[in-house]
Amino acid sequence: MCENALLQKVYETGFALDEVNLYLDTHPSDSQAIEYYQYVKRMNQDAIAAYEKVHGPLMINQISGNSWTWVNNPWPWEGGM
Amino acid sequence: MWRYEKRLQYPVKISQTNPKLAQFIISQYGGPDGESAAAMRYLSQRYAMPYKKGKAILTDIGTEELGHWEIIAAIVHQLTRNLTPEEIEASGFGPYYIDHTTGIWPQAAGGVPFNACEFQSKGDPITDLFEDLAAEQKARTTYDNILRMVKDHDVCDPIRFLREREIVHFQRFGEALRDVQDHLDSRNFYAFNPAFDQQMPSSR
Repeated sequence: MCENALLQKVYETGFALDEVNLYLDTHPSDSQAIEYYQYVKRMNQDAIAAYEKVHGPLMINQISGNSWTWVNNPWPWEGGM
Repeated sequence: MWRYEKRLQYPVKISQTNPKLAQFIISQYGGPDGESAAAMRYLSQRYAMPYKKGKAILTDIGTEELGHWEIIAAIVHQLTRNLTPEEIEASGFGPYYIDHTTGIWPQAAGGVPFNACEFQSKGDPITDLFEDLAAEQKARTTYDNILRMVKDHDVCDPIRFLREREIVHFQRFGEALRDVQDHLDSRNFYAFNPAFDQQMPSSR
């Protein structure tokens, strides 16, 4: 469990995406699972956007403005996220 | 190729340092059934996989294992922060400290350095998938062994997550093995190696 509610949402939706991704690799024609994938993909995109707006980029292609915020803390292994 | 997502797959936030425990858990960073061996195993084996489900699952589980490798490093890092020389000596962390201070280095719990001989890439999809099934079980057993030694909830929580992933991966590799066998001679799965021999059935 993570104290930052915005990040917790990224963790939860990201995990749902990881899980359905592996399932679909071995069940690529399961239409219910594809529907679920589309559902969690959208939730994950929204969660990432909401987090990044407040706390800065999670990925290198999401840096906005004219300062290089990628180098800013926190880094994931430090326990602050 | 890969791009970095600046978060762990599962959060790690440990408030109480414990260098003795770090020395146990580092085995999953560089030990015989660790996450580095897992990632290298699956990401190396995929080139000999002829079938599409197998190529996808080896790529995606291999990628997830890189994320698990990072979780283990985060646990070890947080367990060894701000140690005093006295704590290091009393905990038995001294031999590691002498060689690596509190840096992260891939070794087994007993100090044996990471070695590529801890996994195989045999160039035969049946052989490789049986190795993968065994590897997931061996990692699960290692996490069970670790969990028996851990009392701290902050440490148990991510270790339990990793243990559960071994079980899911085992399931997915079982399905991939079934898919490979469905492509082969039903009377003798071992009649040929579909990654190498020419007399392969046309269906892929």
